[in-house]
Amino acid sequence: MEASIVLIGLSHHTAPVELRERVAVPNGRLDGTLRELVRLPGVSEAAIVSTCNRVEVIACGPDGEALERMLPVFLAERHGVAVDDVTSRLYVHRDREAVRHLFRVAASLDSMVVGEPQILGQLKEQYARAVAVGSSGPVLHRCFHKSFSVAKRVRTGTRLAERAVSVGTAAIGLAKEIFDRLDDKTALLLGAGTMGELTARQLLAHGIGSLMVTSRTFERALTVARTLHGTAIPFDRLLRHLAFADLVVSALDVSEPALRGAHIEAALRERRGRPVFLIDLAVPRSLDPAINEVDGAYLYDIDDLQQVVAENRDARAWEARRAEAMIEGEVETFWAWLRGRAVAPTIADLRAHAERLRARELERHAGLLAALDPQQREELERLTRRLVNKILHAPTAALGRHGESEGLDSPLVHAARELFALDEPPEDGGDDST
Amino acid sequence: MTPADLLLLRGAAGLYFVATVIALSAITTRRALPERLLRWALAGGLALHAASLVWRSATAGYLAVANFGEALSFLGLLLVATFLVIQRRLPVLALAAVVVPLAFGLTLAASALKGGVQPLPPVLHSVWLPVHVGLAILGDALLALACSASVLYLVQDRRLKAHRVRGVHPHFPSLETLDRLSHRSVVWGLVLLTLAILTGIVWAHEAWRGPRAQNWVLDPKLVFTVGAWAFYVVLLQGRMAGGWRGRFAAQLTIAGFAVIVLSLVGVNALGLGRHGGLF
Repeated sequence: MEASIVLIGLSHHTAPVELRERVAVPNGRLDGTLRELVRLPGVSEAAIVSTCNRVEVIACGPDGEALERMLPVFLAERHGVAVDDVTSRLYVHRDREAVRHLFRVAASLDSMVVGEPQILGQLKEQYARAVAVGSSGPVLHRCFHKSFSVAKRVRTGTRLAERAVSVGTAAIGLAKEIFDRLDDKTALLLGAGTMGELTARQLLAHGIGSLMVTSRTFERALTVARTLHGTAIPFDRLLRHLAFADLVVSALDVSEPALRGAHIEAALRERRGRPVFLIDLAVPRSLDPAINEVDGAYLYDIDDLQQVVAENRDARAWEARRAEAMIEGEVETFWAWLRGRAVAPTIADLRAHAERLRARELERHAGLLAALDPQQREELERLTRRLVNKILHAPTAALGRHGESEGLDSPLVHAARELFALDEPPEDGGDDST
Repeated sequence: MTPADLLLLRGAAGLYFVATVIALSAITTRRALPERLLRWALAGGLALHAASLVWRSATAGYLAVANFGEALSFLGLLLVATFLVIQRRLPVLALAAVVVPLAFGLTLAASALKGGVQPLPPVLHSVWLPVHVGLAILGDALLALACSASVLYLVQDRRLKAHRVRGVHPHFPSLETLDRLSHRSVVWGLVLLTLAILTGIVWAHEAWRGPRAQNWVLDPKLVFTVGAWAFYVVLLQGRMAGGWRGRFAAQLTIAGFAVIVLSLVGVNALGLGRHGGLF
């Protein structure tokens, strides 16, 4: 009668990639797995979410506890993994928790990189498969579509997706405020240590056009340049190449600044004033702070960048809280719908019961009614129907109201079924004595 | 009774005000620009504005750009129109925070100044009126746009220099974009200004010859405009040959527009020379 929703799964929060990849449902086997799922006893609807970071099974059925027992076994056995291995890493959510979890996943609050947008596309794609296979029904349909709209609300209503959270992404964000495009820009990496290499790698990943690498040991510069597909430059030629660099990333381990304002001024003249963005990752600093005073040069040291990152983290945490609040509201709305839906059968039973009584009474007195003319008979029909409706109006309204807030737990549902004997088979004409 | 064209103009000013509030509040609170709302407010304002111009011109029987108020109104109209066109091609919607208040101010001033339609002095009765004034005001609009881009450039430059970026402002145009927009607007603005001066000379030659001959060469408007024109030529020369860019170029662009404003306000409002009072 009342549908229970159960979601089980494992994600990057709970399981290492070795286990995740073993239970992952590859695209080619998704349809078959879904078909098997809905064939399980007690499963009325099912969908699967399987990405590189998570494998989740979401199912509906009348008995939530049974689903909670059944789904992990299904997941383990289907992939030939010991059930215990899976269950220890598994999260199991039921009903409201399950809905909340799905909404959070869709809104990218549960992602490895919170706010990343890919998950929503993956979710939509995999839900479409469940629809195509026919494993999804009215409850999951509404649940998933609600999750999509919640995700969209979170994306447009918060700035979760826009915030840079690492030094590298902060640098990229700043570069985009200076340059209109990055793919025709050249970055110069000073010092081929790990930190510099990592940042250069991020710059390249975000579409910086080309890379020059220089280091005091030329071999080291060569190695890094080779792995990053850049050009190595001898350290003593640095100043000659400076004018070609739109971005300068310095991670040099030096006690004296390697570049000073005058160097940058000269480079800017040669660049005919095109701006240059400098990032100093080294401590002590390897670029003279006075460079920032030069027209057209923008120097950020590691503290500046980290401040950007920290502010973004704070802002992000705040945005995430706002997103959670949005989701909470939507979970409640969905839940109210599901519960209202749960009492619907009781209301329908009640109406059917009353209608049956009415019809039977009219039938029993058919002889008496035969004496009336058609107009009078019709009038009588209408009268009895109105009477039934009037009597049922208050009880059905109350059921609807309580159903939305309490679902099947509502004492009113039990009371209604008890008082009107809705769960007993309709007797045939045994109530003559009343 | 308020004439319909004035009502329409006030409606346009109202919508520009709404757009101003939207743009400025989004930028100062670091929120994402409500882009669609902003565009609709501007497009709506522009439609009312255009309707106002059409109405007035129909009543007057000539393109209603003949007095100072009308000219300011026309400048506001062209400024919003060119901005709406340009923001479709470049990600510079945030520039609305500078352009739209300017357009609002122009429109408001115009609606305060604009009296009823007056008969055109016979000397201005000519096909040169819409041509000369249209070119001049479109040129002014582009130079106003260049000035706005330069103002935003200086703001953005300061933010970046002061490290007060607070993360990424994804709706702020980049320095490069602003610099390029400013440069291109100056180029086209200068072309139009040149044509406006030439048509003005031809027209003046025709209008004030023979028995009506007057010395129009030292007309203050002409002197100021040629001054501004020379200023922009130097700026462009410096940009192309001397590598002037960024802050310095932005400051010069703003200074150049200040000369234009002087020639607009000083000459026209104070009623000097032949453009005085009229445009």
